[in-house]
Amino acid sequence: MTKTINLTLKVWRQKGPEHKGHLETYRADHISTDMSFLEMIDIVNDNLTLDGDDPIAFDHDCREGICGMCGTVVNGRAHGPEKETTLCQLHMRHFSDGDTIVIEPWRSRAFKIIKDLVVDRSALDKIIAAGGYISVNTGGAPDGNSILIPQDIAELAMDAAACIGCGACVASCPNASAMLFIGAKISQLALLPQGKPEAAGRALSMVREMDRLGFGNCTNEKECEAECPKEISITNIARMNREYFKAGYFFSKK
Amino acid sequence: MHLDSKIPGGPLPDKWDRHRFELKLVNPANKKKFEIIVVGTGLAGGSASASLAELGYNVKTFCIQDSPRRAHSIAAQGGINAAKNYTNEGDSIQRLFYDTIKGGDFRAREANVYRLAQISNHIIDQCVAQGVPFARDYGGLLANRSFGGAQVSRTFYARGQTGQQLLLGAYSALMRQVAAGMVKMFPRREMLDLVIINGKARGIVVRNLITGEIETHKGDAVVLSTGGYGNVFFLSTNAMGTNVSAAFRAYKKGALFANPCYTQIHPTCIPVHGKHQSKLTLMSESLRNDGRVWVPKNPGDKRLPHQIPESERDYYLENKYPSFGNLVPRDVASRNAKEQCDNGKGVGKTGLAVYLDFEDAIKRDGKDLIAKKYGNLFHMYDKITADNPYETPMMIYPAVHYTMGGLWVDYNLMSTIDGLFVMGEANFSDHGANRLGASALMQGLADGYFVIPYTIGGYLAGTTLEGVNESHSAFTESTQHVREGIEKLISINGKRTVDDFHKQLGLIMWDHCGMARNDQGLEKARRLIQELREEFWENVRVPGSNVEFNQSLERAGRVADFLEFSELMVMDALVRRESCGGHFNEAFQTSENEAKRDDENFSHVSAWDYKGKDADPVMRKEQLVFEHVELSQRSYK
Amino acid sequence: MNWFLDILRSSIGKKLMMAVTGLGFCGFITAHLAGNLFIYNGKEAFNLYAERLHSLGPVITALELGLLFFAVIHVLTGVTLFYQNIMARPVRYVVNKSAGGRSIGSRTMPYSGVILLVFVVLHLLDFHFVDKTGTTIYKLVETTFAVSWYALFYVFAVIVVAIHVSHGLWSAFQTIGANHPKYMPVIKTAGIIFSISIGIGFGFIPIYILIFT
Ligand SMILES: Cc1cc2nc3c(=O)[nH]c(=O)nc-3n(C[C@H](O)[C@H](O)[C@H](O)COP(=O)(O)OP(=O)(O)OC[C@H]3O[C@@H](n4cnc5c(N)ncnc54)[C@H](O)[C@@H]3O)c2cc1C
Ligand code: FES
Repeated sequence: MTKTINLTLKVWRQKGPEHKGHLETYRADHISTDMSFLEMIDIVNDNLTLDGDDPIAFDHDCREGICGMCGTVVNGRAHGPEKETTLCQLHMRHFSDGDTIVIEPWRSRAFKIIKDLVVDRSALDKIIAAGGYISVNTGGAPDGNSILIPQDIAELAMDAAACIGCGACVASCPNASAMLFIGAKISQLALLPQGKPEAAGRALSMVREMDRLGFGNCTNEKECEAECPKEISITNIARMNREYFKAGYFFSKK
Repeated sequence: MHLDSKIPGGPLPDKWDRHRFELKLVNPANKKKFEIIVVGTGLAGGSASASLAELGYNVKTFCIQDSPRRAHSIAAQGGINAAKNYTNEGDSIQRLFYDTIKGGDFRAREANVYRLAQISNHIIDQCVAQGVPFARDYGGLLANRSFGGAQVSRTFYARGQTGQQLLLGAYSALMRQVAAGMVKMFPRREMLDLVIINGKARGIVVRNLITGEIETHKGDAVVLSTGGYGNVFFLSTNAMGTNVSAAFRAYKKGALFANPCYTQIHPTCIPVHGKHQSKLTLMSESLRNDGRVWVPKNPGDKRLPHQIPESERDYYLENKYPSFGNLVPRDVASRNAKEQCDNGKGVGKTGLAVYLDFEDAIKRDGKDLIAKKYGNLFHMYDKITADNPYETPMMIYPAVHYTMGGLWVDYNLMSTIDGLFVMGEANFSDHGANRLGASALMQGLADGYFVIPYTIGGYLAGTTLEGVNESHSAFTESTQHVREGIEKLISINGKRTVDDFHKQLGLIMWDHCGMARNDQGLEKARRLIQELREEFWENVRVPGSNVEFNQSLERAGRVADFLEFSELMVMDALVRRESCGGHFNEAFQTSENEAKRDDENFSHVSAWDYKGKDADPVMRKEQLVFEHVELSQRSYK
Repeated sequence: MNWFLDILRSSIGKKLMMAVTGLGFCGFITAHLAGNLFIYNGKEAFNLYAERLHSLGPVITALELGLLFFAVIHVLTGVTLFYQNIMARPVRYVVNKSAGGRSIGSRTMPYSGVILLVFVVLHLLDFHFVDKTGTTIYKLVETTFAVSWYALFYVFAVIVVAIHVSHGLWSAFQTIGANHPKYMPVIKTAGIIFSISIGIGFGFIPIYILIFT
C-alpha cells in the first residue's frame, strides 16, 4: 500500500515583478509519499485549475536533477531539507502527515521574481558571458590526446564543472552571494591546461561582472556548499580568490 | 514531389570532402549581412549558434528555458562515440559507420552516417579544447568505455554527466559569441510558427513566455534544433518541456516529416509508481554489464525477491540469447520485458517491472567494486524509490527515450522548405529505425559544429534573397493565426486540465503505438486520438490569460500539437508493413519473435506531406540505397 | 596605481582587506597575550615587561599607528560589506533555516565586531589613554578589575573575541585563497585552539586578579 499524507502549504504568490506578493495557504491532501515534491505541486495546481484559480507558477524541466531549472526555498532551505538533492528529486517520504510547508522563491536582488516561485536568473548567464569560456573557434582544435591532463586534475575540474547553475548557492547564502557559482567555473577552467592562457583575464572580468550585478559578498558561511545539490566545494571559492589576486596584482595587462 | 537527398557523388569516404569543396562560399565580408535564426540551444542548436557566429554571421538564438544551458541535452548520461581507436581495438571510421547503420536496422542513409563517423573524431578534439572535463586514464590520456553493446570501447564520457558537460561546452562557446555581440539570445521564447516568403523560410513567430507578447523575427535562414517528440507519450525520460511544436508547425507549413513512428524505448528505467507520476528516470544502460535480469517463473508470484529460490527464477534474457545475454540491444531488451509482464510475470506493486539483480556481481566482485562502478546510479535509485540496490534487486521497466523520426532533411540538413535547416534529434537523418547508445550526442554536435556551418553557406551563397521586414504580410498573417490559436485555447474554459488530456493521450500511444504494435491497436489508437482531440478543443481548461506568464497555456499549445502529431505517428506505423528497430509490428516477426524487415518493399524513408486540416497527409518515399553495406538480419542469439 | 585600488574595491578585494587586517589583529593579539602572561609571574615581572615594552618608543608608536590603520580599514570595510550584503537581499525569507554551514562565529561576525569595537575603545581608554604617572601597570589592572561589573564585561568581551576569531582565522585563510585539502583541516583546528587560548588566556586575568589580590 502506498502511504499518503495530508499537508498544509504556504506558498509565495506574486503576480509579477511589480506586484506585491504574499503567502497563501493551500491544502495538499492524500499525497502519496512516493511522489516527488514537484508532483505534489502538480496536484495542487490541478485542483486550483479546476476550481478556477490561477495555478502556482514554478520552474522545472528535466525533473532528474541535472538541468538546474527547478528550485524554491522549502521551509527555509534551498531545494528542501535533503542534502545533495534538487527540488525535483526531493520525495514526499521526507515529510510527515500534518506538516506545514512554506514555499518561497529564491531571493536575491540579482534575481527578480517573474511570477510566484519563478525568478529571473539571467544574471548567471551574464557572468558566464563575461569570461566563462575558452576562446577557441570551431575547427582548429588539436587532437584530444595532445594535451595530457593528470587524472586527479581532470577529476577536480569535473567536480567544479558539475555545477547545474540552479542558483541554490545564491538563495542559501545569507548574503545572496554567487561566489560558489563563479568560483566553480573559474576553477574548472583554471585547473585545466586549456584554460590557463586566459585564466587571468577571465578571473578579473567575471568577478567584475558579478559585482556589477548586485550579488552579495561571501563571508565564508559555507551554507552554499551545504545546500549545493552537486556538493560543489568552497575550495573553489578559495581558488577563485587566488586566481583573482594573482591576476589583479601580477598579470601585466591592466 | 521528388525527394532529392542531394547526396554527393564519388566514393563514400570522399563524398563529404568533395561536397565541401563544391559548396559555394560566402565572402567573409558578406557574412555579417546575413541573419540566421537558430531555434533551440541543445547540443545541436548551441553548437551551431556559436560556430555560425564565429564565422561572422549574425545569429539570433531562441529557447524555451530561462537559459540556453538548460536544453534537454543536459540530461544525457552515458557518453559520446568517436572512432578514435585510442584503445587500439581496431576501431575505425568504417566500423563506427557500419555499427551505426546496422544498429539503425538499415533504415538510414549511408552517406550521412559515414559523414557522421568521419566527423566524430573532430568533435572530441573540439570539446577537449573548450575545456570539457572528459574522464582521463592514469597517464592523463582520454579514457574510453564500451557502451550500448558495441564491441569496441569508443565512448568518451564525463562521469555520468556527459551530456551536461558537452552542452556546457557548447553553451560557453555560445555565451562567448553573445558577449561578442554576434549572437542575440532570446530565452523563454517559444516558436509557434514558421514564416515563409516566396517559398523560402524567412522568419519565425514566437511567444515571449514572460509577457505573453507575440513577437516576429526575420532572418535569411531558419535552423531548427528543437529536440525530439518523446513526450507525446506523456511519460518519458525526456524533460517536461520537450515538444514537437516547432517541428510540427514547420510541417504544417510544408516541411515533410519523416519516419514519425520510429521511437526508441529504453529498457532500464525506474518503473512507474503511480498515476500522478510526471516523469520517468533513466538508469544507465551500463548497469546491464553486471546486473542480471529476471522475473519469477510463475505468473502472479508476489513473494519478495529474496524469498524466490533460484530454481523459480527465469533469467529470460540469458536463456533466450545465450551469446549476448543481458546485453542485447535496447529494443530487444525492452520488448522482452514487456512480454514477461504481459504474461503476468511482472513484479512490483504494478506488475510492470522486472528485476535487475546485482547479488551475483556483488558476490563475485565485492561491494566496493560495484559501488565504484555504479555507486551514483544506486544512490539515485535509492533516492527515488527508497530501495537499496545493494540489498534488494532493482526494479526496472522500459520507457520512451528517444525519437528517431523527425523533419526530413537532405545531405545539407535542409528540409523540403528552402532555407529551413533541421539538426539534432529534430531531424530524422542518421539513426534509421533505432539509435545506438552514445550516438545522439555525436550527431547533435556533428550537425552543429561541423555540418551546418558549411551547408548553410552553400545555401546563402547560391540563393538570391530579397530584403524582407517584419511588417511583411506573411508575418502579420502568421501572427494573427498564432494569436487566434492561443485565444481559442483560453476561451474554451472546459472541465479537464491540459495534463489530464496529455496523460490520456500518452496511455493511448503507449498501449497501441509503443513497444509492440498491431494493426488493430493502431486503428483503435487513431480513433481514440481523434476523439480525444475533439474533446480537447471543447473541454480543456486553460486558466489565466495570454498576456502573462502562463505555464498552462504553454503546455496546452504543445499538447494540442501532440494530439495531431500522434495521429501521424500511428498512420506511419500502419503503412510500414514490416518490423524494424524501434518499430515492431507483431504481424512481422521471425519465428524467434525478432523484428522482421522487408528490405525489398520498405527500404525507404516515409516522409509525410501535410495537406491541410481536413485531408490526410500524403506519404512520399525516399528510397534508401545501400552500396557499401550488406543488409543482414540482426541476431543476438 | 588605479589598478591596485580597483582590485581592493571589488568584492573579493574587500574580503582580502578584511582577511589581511584580521590576520594582523591575530598577530597583535598573540603578542598581546604573550605579554600579558607575565602577569601570572607576579607583579614585578608584569611591570618589568611593561617598562621594557614602552622603552621601545618609536617602534611601538609605529606599530600602534599601523594597528589603527588596520582597524580603520577593518571597520570601514566590514561596515560596507555588511551594508552591501543586506542590500543584496532586499526581500528576506519568511522562514530561514541553516543547512549546517554556519557556525556561531560566522553567524555573529558583524555583531561580535561591533561589540569588539566598543570594547576596544573602552579598553584603550582604561589602559592606554590614562594617566599612568604614579602608578604601575599592575596596579592599574588591579584597580580596574576590582570593579566587578567591569571584570564581567571584560570576560564577556574576551569570549566575544574568541567567537569572532573562531570564524575569522580560518576564514582569512580561505579568503586569501590558502585552502588546501591537506592543510585546511590543520588551519581550522589551529583556529579553534587559538580562539580557546585567547578566551582562556585573557579571560582568566580578571579572575586571577580577583582571587589573588
Ligand atoms: C535521459 C537521457 C539520456 C541520454 N543519454 C544519451 C547518451 O548517453 N548518449 C547519447 O548520445 N544520447 C543520449 N541521449 C539522447 C540525447 O541527449 C538527445 O537526443 C540530444 O541531446 C538532443 O539534442 P538536441 O540538440 O537535438 O535537442 P535538445 O537538447 O532537446 O534541445 C532542444 C532545444 O530546443 C528548444 N526548443 C524546443 N522547442 C522549442 C520551441 N517551440 N521554441 C523554441 N525553442 C524550442 C529547447 O528550449 C532546447 O533548447 C539521452 C537522452 C535522454 C532523455
Ligand atoms: S527540474 Fe531539472 S534539476 Fe530539477
